[in-house]
Amino acid sequence: MEEFEEFEYQPKSVKELFIEMKNIVELMVDLAYTSILFGDKEIAEEVLDLEERMDLLNYHLMTHAVLAARNPKEAEQITSVLQMANSIEDISNAAGDLAKMVLEGIALHPVITEAIMESEEVIAKITVTQDSILVGKTLGDLKLASNTGVWIIAVKRGKRWIFAPDKNFKIKPDDVLIGRGTHTSVEHLKEIARGIIRVVGDERA
Amino acid sequence: MKELEEIKDCLIEMKNLSSLMVDLAFSSVMYDSEDIADEVYILEEKMDELTLKVKKLALRAAKYEEDPEKLLSIIEMANINEQISDSAYEISDLVLRDVEPHPVIRKIMHDVDEEIGRVKVNKGSILIGNPLKQLKLPTKVGVRLIAIKRGCRYIYNPSKDETIEEGDILIAVGSGIDRLRELSNEKGEEGELIKEEE
Repeated sequence: MEEFEEFEYQPKSVKELFIEMKNIVELMVDLAYTSILFGDKEIAEEVLDLEERMDLLNYHLMTHAVLAARNPKEAEQITSVLQMANSIEDISNAAGDLAKMVLEGIALHPVITEAIMESEEVIAKITVTQDSILVGKTLGDLKLASNTGVWIIAVKRGKRWIFAPDKNFKIKPDDVLIGRGTHTSVEHLKEIARGIIRVVGDERA
Repeated sequence: MKELEEIKDCLIEMKNLSSLMVDLAFSSVMYDSEDIADEVYILEEKMDELTLKVKKLALRAAKYEEDPEKLLSIIEMANINEQISDSAYEISDLVLRDVEPHPVIRKIMHDVDEEIGRVKVNKGSILIGNPLKQLKLPTKVGVRLIAIKRGCRYIYNPSKDETIEEGDILIAVGSGIDRLRELSNEKGEEGELIKEEE
């Protein structure tokens, strides 16, 4: 939360804003499904926090875009920026609505979680054991996305959540990784996290 | 109950389609590809059909459910997925309009964490003839295929048994696009094979 406020006073370039919006919206959709799958209100709250941040980013983007047009041709081109930003924001609102289903305590039909678990990309909790070779390594070292096909969306450490962990995030024993990937790739990473498989990807990690 | 099974299948398909549509929508803008944008449009229509189908099924299922209110969550879920697909359509609509998108949009797409790439599979590539389940692209290369373009047909979310053919265009997302380009022998027409890892 703290770092969000700081942002208000430091507008970024259109490009940076856009990249952040696209990354945030993807994270939001993933987290929203995760919150539904596990009925987890904390994750749902995070989705709503991100939604607020998204609104702010979109607002900044619009301000920039309006200032950037110097002639009718540019203005026309800039409508594309605005349209794209608005569409991204719409998706983020949809993710927010998903999260609200969890928070507002709408009774979820079991068929929903079944459907989420059976779709092509699944979300799974992966618990890291002491013996796993993941322990003590950073996400940057491990390159899990390329080496295992699993994207780490969030990590639960004790009671604390770390959302969208970056390259410097170091894995500790008992961390619970929330990963998104295909069934096979998630199972593969689970074996690594359990310490059964001792290599990550093709090379020694 | 028959209805619930059908609802589940629809929801699975809707979730798959909505994320596919978002991926394709961004890639249509990046490549300024009317082809892909048209496909997003077709998928959007399919999504509308599915939404209606789920709603009808949910209403029918209500007769047998102990707690019919729970079915409300299913309708809500279908609506949200439809909303995502509508937004995806609006993004790809940028390509279909006559206005040229602002250059910044295409520049941006090169900087996001996940890269979307269109990779042509040329003669001599080790990918040819292998089913996807054997290639394990997500684990070994770090890309997932969102679609295969074969001739003028798209195969969305190719299944594990799908085999890559010469001339296929792979639309892939992930951090290993460059690696995929090497493996697909995109540059060289002949010879220089890259050894497959065990």
